[in-house]
Amino acid sequence: MSIPDYMQCAEDHQTVLVVVQPVGIVPEDEFFRIYKRIASVAQVSIRDSQRNLYIRYRHHYLPENNEWGDFQTHRKVVGLISVTTCGSAKEWPQTSDRFHSQKDVFGATLYDSRLLVFGLQGEIAEQQRTDVAFYSSYDVCPDVEKRVEDFVESIFIVLESKRLDRATDKSGDKIPLLCVPFEKKDFVGLDTDSRHYKKRCQGRMRKHVGDLCLQAGMLQDALVHYHMAVELLRSVNDFLWLGAALEGLCSASVIFHYPGGTAGKAAGRKPSLAQGQGQAADAGKRHRPGAQEVLIDPGALTANGISADTSSEIGRAKNCLRPEDIIEKYKEAISYYGKYKNAGVIELEACVKAVRVLAIQKRAMEASEFLQNAVYINLGQLSEEEKIQRYSILSELYDLIGFHRKSAFFKRVAAMQCVAPTIPEPGWRACYKLLLETLPGYSLCLDPKDFSKGTHRGWAAVQVRLLHELVYASRRMGNPGLSVRHLSFLLQTMLDLLSDQEKKEVTQSLENYTSKCPGGMEVITLPDGLKLPPVPLSKLPIVRSVKLLDLPVSLRPHKQKGLLENNMSTKSPFIYSPIIMHTRGEERNKKIEFRWVQGDVCEVQLMVYNPMPFELRVEHMGLLTSGVEFESLPAGLSLPAESGLYPVTLVGVPRTAGNINVNGYHTSVFGVTSDCLLEGLPSVRTSGCMVEVIPSLPRLQLSTSLPRSAHPLQHSKEELSSSVSVQLFNGETQQLTITLENIGSEDLETLEVTSKTCNTKEKLFGEFLSWDLEEAVSQLPLKPGQSVTLTVNIKVRLDFSGGENLLQDLNDDGISVTGLPSSSPLRQVLKPRAETKPLGSESSKTDYNHVKTDRQTEANCSFSHIDKTVHRVNVACLYQGAADLNQWREQADASLNYILCVCVCVCVCVCVCVCVCVCVCVCVCVCVCV
Amino acid sequence: MAVCIAVIAKENYPLYIRSVPIQNELKFHYTVHTSLDVVEEKISAVGKAMADQRELYLGLLYPTEDYKVYGYVTNSKVKFVIVVDSSNTSLRDNEIRSMFRKLHNSFTDVMCNPFYNPGDTIQSKAFDSMVTAMMVQAS
Repeated sequence: MSIPDYMQCAEDHQTVLVVVQPVGIVPEDEFFRIYKRIASVAQVSIRDSQRNLYIRYRHHYLPENNEWGDFQTHRKVVGLISVTTCGSAKEWPQTSDRFHSQKDVFGATLYDSRLLVFGLQGEIAEQQRTDVAFYSSYDVCPDVEKRVEDFVESIFIVLESKRLDRATDKSGDKIPLLCVPFEKKDFVGLDTDSRHYKKRCQGRMRKHVGDLCLQAGMLQDALVHYHMAVELLRSVNDFLWLGAALEGLCSASVIFHYPGGTAGKAAGRKPSLAQGQGQAADAGKRHRPGAQEVLIDPGALTANGISADTSSEIGRAKNCLRPEDIIEKYKEAISYYGKYKNAGVIELEACVKAVRVLAIQKRAMEASEFLQNAVYINLGQLSEEEKIQRYSILSELYDLIGFHRKSAFFKRVAAMQCVAPTIPEPGWRACYKLLLETLPGYSLCLDPKDFSKGTHRGWAAVQVRLLHELVYASRRMGNPGLSVRHLSFLLQTMLDLLSDQEKKEVTQSLENYTSKCPGGMEVITLPDGLKLPPVPLSKLPIVRSVKLLDLPVSLRPHKQKGLLENNMSTKSPFIYSPIIMHTRGEERNKKIEFRWVQGDVCEVQLMVYNPMPFELRVEHMGLLTSGVEFESLPAGLSLPAESGLYPVTLVGVPRTAGNINVNGYHTSVFGVTSDCLLEGLPSVRTSGCMVEVIPSLPRLQLSTSLPRSAHPLQHSKEELSSSVSVQLFNGETQQLTITLENIGSEDLETLEVTSKTCNTKEKLFGEFLSWDLEEAVSQLPLKPGQSVTLTVNIKVRLDFSGGENLLQDLNDDGISVTGLPSSSPLRQVLKPRAETKPLGSESSKTDYNHVKTDRQTEANCSFSHIDKTVHRVNVACLYQGAADLNQWREQADASLNYILCVCVCVCVCVCVCVCVCVCVCVCVCVCVCV
Repeated sequence: MAVCIAVIAKENYPLYIRSVPIQNELKFHYTVHTSLDVVEEKISAVGKAMADQRELYLGLLYPTEDYKVYGYVTNSKVKFVIVVDSSNTSLRDNEIRSMFRKLHNSFTDVMCNPFYNPGDTIQSKAFDSMVTAMMVQAS
């Protein structure tokens, strides 16, 4: 007996073993379908006796193990069900022979056997035989379960007769000595008449009878027999069998205390799973240490068909071990087994059973001691497969007692064993599967979202190792997609914990893998249903802030003022409400003030940095948006090693109007494309990501015939200006040609020109600017690509008749007139002014008049003087449109009614020796309304 | 003396872990990590009965072939784990206790540092030198 059955549990002692095997050629899936149906008959209540028989089915059992059947009867194969296909009557004798030869394998121990024949029809099938059942096909066999039940009942009859035979056969002089295979040679030539020998025989037989009673559903009898066996065997120091008797006692007690079973799953032993679990939980509650005096167990009553006779219950309770004693006895039994090298399997199985019991009792510490012991049990030379099985089961048991870390450890060892160098065909697939199962034990979840909160906290060294192993295993499995996914996960979550060297290695291998299989954002689903969520590499590069940029000034849309007011219908009757203010504030955070325009290039600025110790190449970096159709124009960038914050501008063109939401960005780094959503990146600062996109607007380019001004005029932010300058003498007239070209895609429909003088001091008289709009308007609407010209006449006529005022203004402006090459009258003029200033208004007025009359002549003389000086007139054009492009836009949507205006600003500067500026601004407004 | 000393946070992630043979650091990571199962089990077993007067020293967590693993849990559920060589039989339980006490004192000092954020890995030099003093000198 060399291969332990790790799945064994204490209640298996009460089962009878039935082997179900195919004979001849039986399709595997058909066989297992039949096997499942047979196995569903795991518990049969026997008529007339109120007892239950439990059956354990195996489709594979070593005859070698069968030899231990006398030692523990549940190891004995007592039933054989063969499944066979038989096409014709000719094949029948052969099939029958095969069945008989198979019966011979377990012949010594079999109580009964059955043959299920599928496919045979005709004469042979007609005959009624108890040991053979004929079915026409695998699909038409409605009474398989019934046949199996009958079969089990016949087994029970044999079992019961054996039990009675052995139990009452005390009078017989010779009790045969039962022994295990390896003992046989030890007893050769032993004195069979000694008291010692007889006692040994008696003890072993008692134990055997106990086993039979347990199998036959007579728990109380079994307990009594076991107790007697223990006494007898202890006196003769027959340790192996003493151990078995103790284990039998434990098993019987466990069956009594935990009718739900210790195997963890109620595996068909109970009619319904829910009931089994309920009972298990119930049992666990009842059997907390110190709280188990009352041993009347309704579960046991129904399960074992024992009458509710309290006296017998108390008797049973006496023989039955208390839950805490069970473990003591198990320990004792295991220590006895431990004395025999050949009983390693028995010892190991006993350990496993004890652990299962302890797991139910929630005594994890003691269970771990049993497991620790089990690790050291030497079963001789184990094959690699057995090693894997052993480690897996250890892992499973550790998991059962709640030692998840230990469980993960052993599972990992098992995984490594799958691919040990000594194995000719390493099972990378199995290794990978086992490794995946260890993840929870190392508190690792493959969803990167769990790691986005704060810094990484965990067993980094161990986790990194595990991830590396996953990567390697998946690569050897021939699935580079998985490798890429795991490597990206490693990079994303463990970046801070990797050394520079490791970072280099990881990225290098990542690049190698992605050359075969580029990484993407799809969820990878493994064959066993586990889903590997995508891993966006949001740390390569790290984005610190995201800022949506307004359009360039020349392209900004402006809302038409008149229409805006109509829309302002949301006026609240309340003057102040802090709550509304608050929510508005939040809204502002979310939604940005400015607007984008459909069809125009819009920009978003990211501040990024590269945490890697080498240059990082990011390709196809673009924006992820929702709300409107957006054409992202991806950019490639290369960040120097461990760069500081580095601004990156991502651009795109909205193709439809509406509210656009910038959700994130996508990158392609080392061949892995990732979509990084901003909501998943709490460290990113953003001033809002929602912006309104308005329908596309026409664009107008404006150019003038005059040269550009070197000193552009500063204007309010609302208006964009571009200045042209022209120098004019007083009285001079010049033409300014303004060319308007529609460079957009929409029609321009109306044109409006207004002028505005910037200076309030009206020093000009007459019509400074004049134009004729008629001609221009007649060409409207302006189709895309067309242009229209507008001629503006600039005529400068400075009014020097009010020279007094002029000069006074000059003075007010703080301009000194000293040193002017002017004649004395001018000084005279100034003088009285200085004198009269403190006077009352009336006198001042008179004085004024006086001076004014005086100036008639004076003006003339100074006029000639001024004539010689250069009158500089700056004509500036102020208009909506870029300085270079002179663009100008109109809005086509009637509901929004944006207005665009062009201001032509003309500045007239009069220099009187020192430069004195008089500004006159004329606005030319072009309105297009649809 | 000790071959590995680890401080583990309440949430069971390492705050500090140091072992003597640097080349086999990972093995000690595994050892300490698996020992947490036993620590948790011990805490939960005692916790129910008398949470207040709990003994901080947990004693031997489990023996492996080459090492013995000892545990200690502070009242704030920070765990200390000391791994010693099994061959070192001269080491008494009392000495292990005093090692833990020293470790606890030093850890308290670390926690008193206003610039230390509870939950961060320990980078204190004083703590480091104290641990070094308790470790086996790699020869």
